[in-house]
Amino acid sequence: MAGTALVLEGLTKRYGTLAPAVDALSLTVQPGEFIGLLGPSGCGKTTTLRMIGGLIEASGGRVLVDGRDVTALPPHRRDMGIVFQNYALFPHMDVAGNVAFGLEMRGMKRGEIAAKVEAALDLVRLGHLAKRRPKELSGGQQQRVALARALVIEPSVLLLDEPLSNLDAKLREEMRAEIQDIQRRLGITTIFVTHDQAEALAMCDRIAVMAQGRIAQLGTPHDIYEHPASEFVADFVGRSNRIAGHAADGRLNIGDLTIDAPAPVAPGPVTVMIRPHRIAFTAGGAGWNEVRGSVRRVTYVGDVLACEVTAGGAVFLVEQPTQPGVPPPEAGAEVCIAWRVADTLVFPRETA
Amino acid sequence: MRLPGLLLGPALLVNLAIFIAPMANLAALSFHEARPSGGVGPGPTLATWASIAEDEYYVELVTGSIGVALGVTVLTLLAGYPLALFIHRAAPRWRNLLMVACISPLLVSAVVRTYGWMVILGDTGLVAAMLRFLGMAKPPRMVFNLTGVVIALVEILMPTMILCLLAGFGRLNASLEEAAASLGAPRWRVFTRVVLPLSLPGVLLGCLLAFVLTVSSFITPKLLGGGRVILLATEIYDQAIVTLNWPVAAALSVLSLAVFGLALLLYGRLLRVVEA
Ligand SMILES: Nc1ncnc2c1ncn2[C@@H]1O[C@H](COP(=O)(O)OP(=O)(O)OP(=O)(O)O)[C@@H](O)[C@H]1O
Ligand SMILES: [Mg+2]
Repeated sequence: MAGTALVLEGLTKRYGTLAPAVDALSLTVQPGEFIGLLGPSGCGKTTTLRMIGGLIEASGGRVLVDGRDVTALPPHRRDMGIVFQNYALFPHMDVAGNVAFGLEMRGMKRGEIAAKVEAALDLVRLGHLAKRRPKELSGGQQQRVALARALVIEPSVLLLDEPLSNLDAKLREEMRAEIQDIQRRLGITTIFVTHDQAEALAMCDRIAVMAQGRIAQLGTPHDIYEHPASEFVADFVGRSNRIAGHAADGRLNIGDLTIDAPAPVAPGPVTVMIRPHRIAFTAGGAGWNEVRGSVRRVTYVGDVLACEVTAGGAVFLVEQPTQPGVPPPEAGAEVCIAWRVADTLVFPRETA
Repeated sequence: MRLPGLLLGPALLVNLAIFIAPMANLAALSFHEARPSGGVGPGPTLATWASIAEDEYYVELVTGSIGVALGVTVLTLLAGYPLALFIHRAAPRWRNLLMVACISPLLVSAVVRTYGWMVILGDTGLVAAMLRFLGMAKPPRMVFNLTGVVIALVEILMPTMILCLLAGFGRLNASLEEAAASLGAPRWRVFTRVVLPLSLPGVLLGCLLAFVLTVSSFITPKLLGGGRVILLATEIYDQAIVTLNWPVAAALSVLSLAVFGLALLLYGRLLRVVEA
């Protein structure tokens, strides 16, 4: 696939004397790869994207495109398509004019522009609104115009800053697939900023989870979800039971319970995390952690059954798909819950 | 009539009494004929209007005034636009300070500023001295002619122009410029395709005001023109106060009002085009 390799080397942005908004961030993006920047609000995602696009000057570090240092290049010479968090559509141009802008700047012929604009608008299903002004569009429609405007120039790198945040659930799903399709087909190296972990998991080849201007973990969605490198990542990506415990003699003590750890752990305080849907109402066996407890609360939502189970002083949230013919347990019932030892995530806890 | 309408009443009455009525009076006066030594003949007659229309001098006065006003307007725009853009883009905490600095000349009356320019532009003034220092043997004359009047008017009108521009820059924001740049537009094309079109409402407003204020300017051309720069307002003054020809002064006043009306009409038309 003809794509562009993008390398960030120690990219840093400082605002005044505050802690850096982006702190020596390094990332190697393969040609044609779809990378997600995932992190909580204010962690530096937009700042990183803007440095890649040349919209703000980096305080340190380099941006390399296909091995070429572009750190000092102005944005109009970087050939990167950007979809802004606030869309930034030109209010004095209609939808078609907005999409045509980048092509005009490339000196393309009128007839060719018209054809490309039409194709791009069809792609985002806005062909019928070509003559509207941005202010006459809904937020989602504006977002799609912004997407079409960035895609139509077929940039070597596509930078998306939460491009789906304003769409309704159904449209968002469609646009996800659409963006993925387009990205695969054109083989555009893409950086996709989002704070929606489900979106990142669903769309990206690899995800860089960010916290406080740094990459907390870089990996495939599977890696990130199954093998989170830190408590922060485990907590931010997917949902978890989060239980304070103590490691001793290679095993883990949670309240009165003692369970197995998946790997040797150093003695000391730990945080134990278990995904709710990996816990089942069964007796375990070899390779399983099993505890007995009583049901405290039951939430039945048809397809999913969520129970809070207290055991040994800790509370476990258990989520299971409902089974035909099996009535949900009642509050107060004694149950046995179990999960694979491999699904037990253990992180050392800093003592305050 | 509902309450909001009624609330307009007092203002309407005052306007009617002190503004509309005298204007009507003025218009009526232009349909009389002047008598020697300040008298006014019985009307109505088109004689005054006919004499103005036939007199080359008045035709030139009107076209000349409009020409000078257009020139001053364009120069004021060119001088004010970069400043306004700079202020608009400045960080918020600097913006207010810069605004005050730009507008503070309004605290000094046009009379004082005109006298200031007489000193600065005079034959022994700062500018002439500077030009001589730079090796110009005989600096051009800059007072008591059109040059001085234009320079002073541009300076006097700049704060107004900048205020208008800033008021009209509302749709301009940095992320649009960034978007344009990311789409491949070099700086000058960002300016011509995004910044300029979006600032046009402010440009139009500023130009309208600068134009109207120049046509009606009196003190500056009177003092700095040295009797050689005759604009509509100075001529009206001369006709009314010196020559005591009230009908001609009235007719010229109506004419300048018509010029303002046309300017306003044009402004409305253009505004609809640029804001569409
Ligand atoms: N111009 C600025 N001056 C000072 N601090 C800034 C500036 N721009 C951003 N910051 C700070 O840098 C940090 C990172 O901001 P950034 O916009 O990159 O966050 P983000 O990850 O995109 O968040 P969100 O998900 O809310 O969009 C924030 O703490 C923010 O307050
Ligand atoms: Mg952001």
